[in-house]
Amino acid sequence: MREKIKAFLPLFGPKGQNCFGGLGKKTAAFALCGILAASCLAGCGDGSGSDKKGDGTELLNVSYDPTREFYAEYNDIFCKYWKEQGGSDVTVTQSHGGSGSQARSVIEGNEADVVTLALAHDITAIENSGMIEEGWSEEFEGDSAPYTSTIVFLVRKGNEKNIKDWDDLVKDGVEVITPNPKTSGGACWNFLAAWAYEQQNGKSEQETEEFLTKLYQNVLVLDSGARGATNTFVENRQGDVLIAWENEAYLSLDTHPDEYEIVTPSVSILAQPSVAVVDKYAKDHGTEELAAAYLEHLYSDEAQRLAGKHHYRPSNEEILQEFSDKFDLEMNLVTIDDFGGWDKAYETYFQDGAVFDQIYTE
Amino acid sequence: MYVEMKDICKTFDGFQASDHVSFGIEKGQMAALLGPSGSGKTTILRMLAGLDRPDSGDIMINGFRVNDLPGNKRGIGFVFQNYALFRYMTVADNIGFGLEVQKKSKAEIKERVEELLELISMEDLGKRYPHQLSGGQKQRVAFARALAPGPGLLLLDEPFAAIDAKVRRELRNWLRDMIGRVGITSIFVTHDQEEAMEVANQVIIINQGKIEQIGTPEEICFHPKTEFVADFIETERFSQGGK
Amino acid sequence: MAKKKQRSYQQDVVGDSINSIQKVVKPSEEGGSRIVKYLLIGLSVLFLFVMLALPLAVVAANAWKEGWEAYRKAVMDEYTIKALQLTLLATVTAVAVNTVFGVFAAFLLSKFYFRGRQALAALIDIPFSISPVIAGLVFILTFGNMGWMGDFLDKYDIKIVFAVPGVILATIFVTFPFVFRELFPVLNAQGKDEEEAAALMGANGWRIFWRITFPHIKWALLYGIILCSARAMGEFGAVSVISGHLRGKTNTLPLHVEILYNEFNTAAAFAVSSILVALAVLILIVKSLVEWKKK
Repeated sequence: MREKIKAFLPLFGPKGQNCFGGLGKKTAAFALCGILAASCLAGCGDGSGSDKKGDGTELLNVSYDPTREFYAEYNDIFCKYWKEQGGSDVTVTQSHGGSGSQARSVIEGNEADVVTLALAHDITAIENSGMIEEGWSEEFEGDSAPYTSTIVFLVRKGNEKNIKDWDDLVKDGVEVITPNPKTSGGACWNFLAAWAYEQQNGKSEQETEEFLTKLYQNVLVLDSGARGATNTFVENRQGDVLIAWENEAYLSLDTHPDEYEIVTPSVSILAQPSVAVVDKYAKDHGTEELAAAYLEHLYSDEAQRLAGKHHYRPSNEEILQEFSDKFDLEMNLVTIDDFGGWDKAYETYFQDGAVFDQIYTE
Repeated sequence: MYVEMKDICKTFDGFQASDHVSFGIEKGQMAALLGPSGSGKTTILRMLAGLDRPDSGDIMINGFRVNDLPGNKRGIGFVFQNYALFRYMTVADNIGFGLEVQKKSKAEIKERVEELLELISMEDLGKRYPHQLSGGQKQRVAFARALAPGPGLLLLDEPFAAIDAKVRRELRNWLRDMIGRVGITSIFVTHDQEEAMEVANQVIIINQGKIEQIGTPEEICFHPKTEFVADFIETERFSQGGK
Repeated sequence: MAKKKQRSYQQDVVGDSINSIQKVVKPSEEGGSRIVKYLLIGLSVLFLFVMLALPLAVVAANAWKEGWEAYRKAVMDEYTIKALQLTLLATVTAVAVNTVFGVFAAFLLSKFYFRGRQALAALIDIPFSISPVIAGLVFILTFGNMGWMGDFLDKYDIKIVFAVPGVILATIFVTFPFVFRELFPVLNAQGKDEEEAAALMGANGWRIFWRITFPHIKWALLYGIILCSARAMGEFGAVSVISGHLRGKTNTLPLHVEILYNEFNTAAAFAVSSILVALAVLILIVKSLVEWKKK
């Protein structure tokens, strides 16, 4: 048997030359590499249209989850505005996902011209990787947050479990839906709002941690993004209460009238989703001017009203007043500064091994 | 000598398959490589065919040293033990394959194939596929296929091993007649002494990689040169079989 | 038809005596085995119904929930068309690359004996054992900005991750072994005799491949291609990680369905899903045709 197998080896012919002619091992290997390389390059040539250097008429806006509807409309407004200003036809491509994931993708090579994310911290992460220049938060008004929001509760019509405030979320038998702070910006705001509530009520660090532990024990599903959490609550009908962005909550009321109610907690946090131009890619694509204008225009009256329409709180004080019947302007809101700024807050609560990890693994 | 093996040695992983093998076969002769299993007879055949390379020694075909020539350039035809017919080609295509490779014209190929089909008495079966043939028919097609390109040397590896006993004798006689008619030099490997004695006119006895004796069937039977040959050949059986 | 033929053949070949023995044995066997037979059939039908027919019906029902106009709008939407184009591009490329590779590899590994043969065969099977999401992550770690090829790619302005090449690469990866796995056992079982015989007659590699190897693997190849296509079209995990979800650019049909669903646009999501279902049905029809022709 061995004889037979070994005997087969020299089918390559007496001198090691191949009886099979062209179909030798080496040829096969080369052909293989050739094909893979060819398909890669073909794919590159095919799909890189948007990334030609110096093109200057295309923007990639990497955003977070709930802003889909808003930017769909805003992009039309902006393109029209830009045309009126004498500019060329502009196409804006959108990408949405959990804020943290989106930031990471930009760092990994997603060539965003602008980022419009859920918290300043995610943008700082991109800054730290060298793609955004320092001082980005002063570029635009209001710490580069053209619109703000806050955290509220969404419950099913009738509010069976009678949820009125944060305390009700830690009761037995209450199922909470909130996303994962590791990937979702909204989830971070949620966490901090809950923390703020305890602190405002004079609880100690220890007690606050216990409170949050109980809260997260009641969490049924930890989605990766705010929109995912909304879907879990609304479409899949899971859980009794959704801790959500205010704008998400209102959107749910729009799409599913008469099925849900918003409950405003006694304490919440002013959530400031920030925006920035990604300098590295904007330079590469020749879109610096365009990108800056794109973000600047978010502060125009037109855009501010659009934000209000999509349930975001406009940063423009006057226009905010126009929506006083929709938004509860009297809410007790803490800000991220009360936590010492995002860097400190992230380090304390959301870093690997920090408070959230400790709470969630218990 | 048409075919000559001069002092051939071959080792497979420490196992001596051929040990200073030397023999010669005249043109037109029909030789049998006879020996027990594992004696190295198939190795010799494969080296002749170019499927294996000897470690030392020379292989001469028609006066040329062919050690460095690939199998397809040696002018040999090979009949495999299990026929190895191309199962997705018709009988005619099978037979004509060698000529196709030689890039002969379609007309030439057709002519030769018909000629061979007639030779093996399968004129009407040209369009059949191998799985539609009996064992004996497959053997005949394999034979025709090997002959088609007009080789100078025909090598057969245990040609009757896969055939059932009933048909074997008929086929044996047929092959002997055929080869005699075509006049081609041939060497076949077998472990069946009756077969070797009946079909061949030159018998080479091999044992453990060494040649024990070379001679005509009569010489082998009645004048065994070594003890092994004497033991190996059961004269009674042979005389009972008879030509 | 075949059954009738079989029975008459049996009656011809098998003697009367044996037939009579069968008659004695049959009745009691039949009663019990019939129940088992119906039970098994029933369970299979139930399983198929719940796992296959029901979801398909749900997709269909939801797709047309808001009427034909809404369905047409969702399916004809610019982003949907772009997603369909990308899905088809990725599928065709993956099938082409993996077919060529599969044929080469299967031929190599079954006809040649070399050290490391087993290891190579195991390597080819890796995409089966890795979760597609991990695969996507691996690509990001390799070709992303922070990956070890990152600087090289940046220098030559080659975009792989978060662009179309990445999507295609991910699709190629997850469907890698399909064609190979269909061909390898067939080629292995075939043995080398015929090729050896042809080689001895002077045939070169290509001739041997086309006239001897290829006819043998024709049907297995087709089947492998079909499986590869089906898998490529439905790929989600790996592509999702590597695509960047750029609307109109790097979204395949499955990703687009997810987006629509996330936008509370359930009817549209199901409408686009029905495109995928249609493609799947198309593949099944082709497969049935192939199998039918084979007979």
